Amino acid sequence: MTKQTINLKLKVWRQTNPQTEGKFVTYDAKDISPDASFLEMLDTVNEGLIKKGDSPIVFDHDCREGICGSCGFMINGNAHGPEKSTTVCQLHMRHFHDGEELVLEPWRATAFPVIKDLMCDRSAFDRIMKSGGYISVNTGNAQDANAIPIPKPDADEAFLSAACIGCGACVASCKNASAALFTSAKITHLSLLPQGKVERGQRALDMVAQMDAEGFGACTSTGVCSASCPKDISLTNIATMNREYLKAVITQKEEMGGGDGV
Amino acid sequence: MSVKLDSKIPSGSIDTKWKDHKFKMKLVNPANKRKHSVIVVGTGLAGASAAASLGELGYKVKAFCVHESPRRAHSVAAQGGINAAKNYQNDGDSVYRLFYDTVKGGDFRAREANVYRLAEASVSIIDQAVASGVPLAREYGGLLSNRSFGGAQVSRTFYARGQTGQQLLYGAYSSMMRQVDLGTVELNTRKEMLDLVVVDGKARGIIVRNLLTGELESHVADVVVLATGGYSNVFYLSTNAMACAVTAAWKAHKKGSYFANPCYTQIHPTCIPVHGENQSKLTLMSESLRNDGRVWAPLKKGDLRKPEDIPENERDYYLERIYPSFGNLAPRDVASRQAKFRVDEGHGAQGQEAVYLDFKDSIKRLGEDKIRERYGNLFQMYDKITAEDPYKQPMRIYPAPHYTMGGLWVDYNLMSTIPGLFVAGEANFSDHGANRLGASALMQGLADGYFVLPYTVGDYIANTKLGEVNTSNDAFKATEESIKAEINKMINVKGSRTVDSIHKELGRVMWEKCGMSRNEAGLKEAINHIGQLRKTFWNDVKIPGTANELNTELEKAGRVADFIELGELMCRDALTREESCGGHFREEFQVDGEAKRDDDKFCHVAAWEWNGSADKPQTRHTEELTFDNVHLATRSYK
Amino acid sequence: MLQFFKSTVGRKYLMGITGLVWMGFIFGHMAGNMLIFVGADAFNAYGHAIVSNKILLYGTEIALVLTLIVHVSCAISLTIQNRSSRNSRYAMTPNAEKGSSLASKTMAVQGSAILAFIILHLITFKYGKIYETNVGGVLMRDLHKLVIETFAQPGYVAWYVVCLILLLFHLSHGAHSIFQSFGILERKMQAKLKMGAWVYALVVAGGFLSQPIYVFLFHK
Repeated sequence: MTKQTINLKLKVWRQTNPQTEGKFVTYDAKDISPDASFLEMLDTVNEGLIKKGDSPIVFDHDCREGICGSCGFMINGNAHGPEKSTTVCQLHMRHFHDGEELVLEPWRATAFPVIKDLMCDRSAFDRIMKSGGYISVNTGNAQDANAIPIPKPDADEAFLSAACIGCGACVASCKNASAALFTSAKITHLSLLPQGKVERGQRALDMVAQMDAEGFGACTSTGVCSASCPKDISLTNIATMNREYLKAVITQKEEMGGGDGV
Repeated sequence: MSVKLDSKIPSGSIDTKWKDHKFKMKLVNPANKRKHSVIVVGTGLAGASAAASLGELGYKVKAFCVHESPRRAHSVAAQGGINAAKNYQNDGDSVYRLFYDTVKGGDFRAREANVYRLAEASVSIIDQAVASGVPLAREYGGLLSNRSFGGAQVSRTFYARGQTGQQLLYGAYSSMMRQVDLGTVELNTRKEMLDLVVVDGKARGIIVRNLLTGELESHVADVVVLATGGYSNVFYLSTNAMACAVTAAWKAHKKGSYFANPCYTQIHPTCIPVHGENQSKLTLMSESLRNDGRVWAPLKKGDLRKPEDIPENERDYYLERIYPSFGNLAPRDVASRQAKFRVDEGHGAQGQEAVYLDFKDSIKRLGEDKIRERYGNLFQMYDKITAEDPYKQPMRIYPAPHYTMGGLWVDYNLMSTIPGLFVAGEANFSDHGANRLGASALMQGLADGYFVLPYTVGDYIANTKLGEVNTSNDAFKATEESIKAEINKMINVKGSRTVDSIHKELGRVMWEKCGMSRNEAGLKEAINHIGQLRKTFWNDVKIPGTANELNTELEKAGRVADFIELGELMCRDALTREESCGGHFREEFQVDGEAKRDDDKFCHVAAWEWNGSADKPQTRHTEELTFDNVHLATRSYK
Repeated sequence: MLQFFKSTVGRKYLMGITGLVWMGFIFGHMAGNMLIFVGADAFNAYGHAIVSNKILLYGTEIALVLTLIVHVSCAISLTIQNRSSRNSRYAMTPNAEKGSSLASKTMAVQGSAILAFIILHLITFKYGKIYETNVGGVLMRDLHKLVIETFAQPGYVAWYVVCLILLLFHLSHGAHSIFQSFGILERKMQAKLKMGAWVYALVVAGGFLSQPIYVFLFHK
């Protein structure tokens, strides 16, 4: 598959560490194969930088098949680039044309401080998960997997919410840097399943509280999160979160102690 | 010679070994568990499930990962499914059949006792996963759905579309995060283990490098668990993620942990073919596709026509032709080898290194919607990468390195040759023999983490005198110093070769000489070449930046240095094993393109002992394998 | 309960509920004002009937003022929080291929303009010039005359048109968003609700727009 290669101009955000100010630096990406992925294009640029003794552009990446959620930055104002339902590692250069100028910026959100260049710290997501994104079941306590039938539509819907890869594109593209889509996807996934219903109230309260505490903004239903989500997580998740939250506030019971036993 | 290799397989009949063994284990009382600490390195399926389960039991657990979050571990990318002997389909499955299939699938190079335990645990894994919220696929009646996978004639694979690994990982991850919330597990992210610390002959801690600051940190514990995955990235191009490395396991090897069967690597038959020089990784197309896709190559040599122009009678559905009873669901090693033969004989798709995987007939039979429901995300991924629509034209596929059956040697308790060092998941060698069947990796990772380690780690702690050790101990200081020295040496080479260029060169040698087929001359050449490459690395590598900052090139360089040493050992292992079995195919030992085992000479595990320096070849030890239940026979899928 | 009002989700509920109150009010307001097409007497009699029922009048006014205060203060506090959630700006704001509707992104701007409009609107009419007229023997305020006078000025009409178009966008997004905030948005209903919100917004804004334009063009 030999096709004509393309040349691009990249304006890349370079920032040495969280403490220093960053700035844009312009690089040429030359002789890029249209079959290469966006990250492979950056690899090529980096190879050139290293040869010159410069420090390579740092970006998070790992699986390079669109599932680990590591990669992600803004390309000309689009989270993960212009293609829908695509992570930047699965974005191929055939979608760009020769001579194009691209601006690459890290996710920007107070809750996602930049670590270096295009890499930022998304550990806020882990703390939201830790606050309640689980079902309290110890190993060895499970009954037979088929003991509770789950209607297929519920299982399918739960799966669609669970497909979130936690890349942060929703936060990055939201004008309020809101983490509502991420948080609601987990709340929805677990509240749809019979196993997760027991703790649904407390989960909604805790996860929303943690989401707010991390400094994310509020959802104003612009829908841009869902539009830039590489896994097409639906906006309806946020509605579910709101409903779960209200229900929990109304029906909240005083904790009687005892708790988790640990 | 093999005195040291005591597999500690309990006596008794195969189906009661584990039960009896669990009963005989010593227990640690709940109040004492709090006083004991466990380090878990790696937070994929095996690591996260182990950390969660050990935390639940009350141990003080410290979990480490190189990623920004445990959710990024490469288990996330497993697509097709997870096996379990539930027999929900009433098609004759049983624990014994899963055991039998796995032993046979591994070409009689795995331990019967381990495999049986794995098959037993498989049943509980599905229960555990569902209880922790994993949305596995269901039928309209609300019950779990199954699909078929290679090497089995029953339908026992549970799945969540093409994202089974992702969903199972998130299940284990969330269980672990619950323990983090409860304070039993301390999570350490973006930290890479750079060495194991051994005190008085026991594993007592690790040294990690904080990837954000470059600082080295010492961590002490009573037990160290490695769940750091496989080493397919030795081939540079593989389906593994970029950060997958052998480093943690290799450092443990250099500290005295034997490395078993390094030459057993799995080349997965259905990957998207290589497209160019700058490619960074290969993408797998799940084996589950072979449920509905038919594999073929053009019958005519050098046929350059487009697939749609090749009439039915000029297509060679070679898997169906050669293996009528398993057809397209032949095991991976067999399917890969046959694809290579077709291409080598000049039957490649449009003259390239690829064969076809065709869904035309299934789409006709089931309709495009059904196919989309089953494999939608995989088809979309293929389309994205190749810009070809697999609903309209057949996929082009070719084998690629995917999984490594070899790994650190462990006994039945998953403990390595260093007391206190346990190894779980792909990082150990234990359950798959010379070839792994599809949908078994997820099963093994979770079996080790959820159902084996919580018992065996406790037994070790209860039976072992563990003195007070802290980070000011000489062993910690010395280890830290030696790491510092190695990093400085590496970064001060300031040569001309980039890390990637060296890695690519290593990968090419490994793929050509120690890949899908191997021969004596090639392996000897490879050993030579890799020895040279090691020198090149230490004399000419170019790493920009310093050691005291986030330095991605330095990270990669450390990993490549270990891959180089491992690559040499893999070739040596492949050279010594003068037989063909599973994924290890020696051209000298074959019958009509099928692997020819030599059970008289090689019915054993080869475990290599480090001799103190990369210049001194490792010593080979063996552990004899006995087959009391599944009788040694030539493996046939015809 | 306090945590509810502190949380982003809780404040969105409050904005939704108060928005809903206003949505009902302005619909009624728009419908009533349509009497301008019927004639001066009908229009004035309608206005007189409303101000004569003091309980209804003050009840409604208090409810409207309170809900407006809640709506605006939630909006302000959320906007402040939303601004601080992104401490460094993008060089290229996300507005390209994966952007969102302008209406949804500029709710705060629209809201501020509409608030200004409401205040001016009250000054012009409620507290504006008082003409008197006699309808069927009852002496009452001649609002009709005031309206005709006001809408004869092109500047005024232009300002109204601009504000009402802003209102159109504010309502179209707000009406849809309420279902989202209240958590009654189901996947299947999403498209229909969005359309419903637009229909409502168009009816309200269209109705209001028709009045000044009609007066300006045809009422000489």
